[in-house]
Amino acid sequence: MTKTMMHLLGIFCLGLFGLTFAPNAVYAHGEKSLEPFIRMRTIQWYDVRWSQDKPRVNDELVITGKFHVAEDWPRAVPKPDASYLNVSSPGPVFVRTERYVNGQATAGSAALKLGGDYDFKIVLKARLPGRYHIHPFFNLHDAGAVMGPGHWIEVTGVPAAFTNPVKTLNGDVIDMETYGLANGIGWHAFWFALAAAWLLWWVRRPLFIPRNKMLQSGQGDALVTPLDRAIAAGILVVVPLVVFGAQAMTDSQYLNTIPLQTALDQIEPLAPVVNTGLVQVKVQRAEYDVPSRSMTIVTQIRNSSDQPVQIREFASGNVRFINLASHQANQDANQGIDDDTLVAPQGLSIDSPAPIKAGESRIVRLTGTDALWATQRLDGLIRDTDSRLGGLLFLIDATSNRYIASISSAVIPKFD
Amino acid sequence: MATKALEVPPQPYTGEKARLTRAYDYLILVLALFLFIGIFHLHMMLTVGDWDFWQDWKDRQWWPLVTPLMMITFPAAVQAVLWSNFRLPMGATLCISCLLIGAWIARYFSYHLWNYFPINEVMPATMLPSALVLDAVLMLTNSVTVTSIVGGMAFALLFYPSNWPIFGMFHVPVEYNGAQLTIADLFGFQYIRASMPEYLRIIERGALRTYGQYATPLSAFCSAFLCTLMYPLWWYMGKAFATTKYVKNI
Repeated sequence: MTKTMMHLLGIFCLGLFGLTFAPNAVYAHGEKSLEPFIRMRTIQWYDVRWSQDKPRVNDELVITGKFHVAEDWPRAVPKPDASYLNVSSPGPVFVRTERYVNGQATAGSAALKLGGDYDFKIVLKARLPGRYHIHPFFNLHDAGAVMGPGHWIEVTGVPAAFTNPVKTLNGDVIDMETYGLANGIGWHAFWFALAAAWLLWWVRRPLFIPRNKMLQSGQGDALVTPLDRAIAAGILVVVPLVVFGAQAMTDSQYLNTIPLQTALDQIEPLAPVVNTGLVQVKVQRAEYDVPSRSMTIVTQIRNSSDQPVQIREFASGNVRFINLASHQANQDANQGIDDDTLVAPQGLSIDSPAPIKAGESRIVRLTGTDALWATQRLDGLIRDTDSRLGGLLFLIDATSNRYIASISSAVIPKFD
Repeated sequence: MATKALEVPPQPYTGEKARLTRAYDYLILVLALFLFIGIFHLHMMLTVGDWDFWQDWKDRQWWPLVTPLMMITFPAAVQAVLWSNFRLPMGATLCISCLLIGAWIARYFSYHLWNYFPINEVMPATMLPSALVLDAVLMLTNSVTVTSIVGGMAFALLFYPSNWPIFGMFHVPVEYNGAQLTIADLFGFQYIRASMPEYLRIIERGALRTYGQYATPLSAFCSAFLCTLMYPLWWYMGKAFATTKYVKNI
């Protein structure tokens, strides 16, 4: 028994040793952690691009893209009255110098409108060398982080070369990396020195047992000397004098200070880009086949435009199923996409691939089959509290005009 | 003269007894140092948390309200033990010093070296002036009631002016695309925090500004009043646990 316990203890210690001294690098940052129905039916990202993938320290990296705020917003998720367009990175390895939504500069949180279309631009400046997986994403109040697509960025250069100059309204140019640091450390050191002096004043004399004994024997008054009292009185005079004097000096040095800013930005959506009405898509039924990891969506598509249209892509939760028969498929599959983009290799199969003529209404069965449903944890949808699929269906005409529909539907699982 | 000033009161022990009791002093002090660094810092992280972590949380209303209220807790309890049993008026200064040692260690190693935030963005606030005054008031009055009222109020009222010389310069305005921000706000915008979106900040909310633009004094006096209640509460908690009755069977 003892031997078994010793063996178990040895295995535990080895495991602990392994965990402590041989950690593997972890690159994920929770992009799959949120429930699928939230990832599919809140912020629907598309056309996300990165300006480069190998910036040097101090170089700019610009992320641009678009997103649609789903009409079929889950009831379990609070409406996006406060949201924050963020960047997922392992800490501030970049600094964010500019951010625009629909061309409007925004530094704070913003309210989004259901069914709204938005584009965005985030300007980053490389700060620390390394290889990072960078996503745009939305923090949604009381819901969580809805990730956009990710991209590997390799920052080269020397960390010490990074500077972040900012001009204040007073006209001074400061470096955010070091501003106020020496002053802050100086004040902390000053108060630490006074506190240490006060502590040492008491600690230098015998402490616990002798003092307790004297106190118990009625000699407590002798434990505090007149000099102790004088010093304490001095503290009551000097400390407030220093505090209020320093405050007054700071006020005179920085005449124009303002409180922290808390505005919530109101950003109007663009003119409709998704669900414009020219091509209407209605889902009649959606089934997910669990063993084959295949989603079949039966749609009724009505083409009200004056050109034939062809289905190009279905995207949901950043997973993309591209219609490989589409004449733009190869171009689409390669545009701004590398091996970390979630494109299903087998694409999207369509039971009636011929273009839908102008004015035609047709029932089309779309099937997206890939392990990405499982590896991206989107198949958890069938066990979600709100088992509805959501995503964007892209259609194009011969002149490359694009029509986008935000679709949603309940999903019926097929377990065997 | 200097030697006389440093003389200590007569001691009950001499020789080997004195040496042993002194060794016991050091043992307790070292343990107390690590204990207070750990538990008081944990208490601060759980209660004050982001208000102390980030420049762009240090507002005029909640920061000076919450921080003294949560920070007077351990000092009151430790003062109850050290003053009642040993006539040592250093409980508050000891606690706050330990807290700041822990805070600086965490900000430097965890926030700066591990998570890459510039150290000036995550500088902790100081409460040492308040602690020194609290210790001095207790020693001079030898009264829980007076220390609760006078010391507790001073503890809270000194907080904001003590920290303004450190953090005031971060409230200088900058222009960002047609709007003004403070440098502190700009830290929050520029230095990416994936799990800390702007809307989570609990700052500048509430009705205090209905009395005009001077929210800070109102907040500080509100905190001062609450500290007069918090102080005796934690004093008596300290007294309740400063006993051997829970371990007498060992």
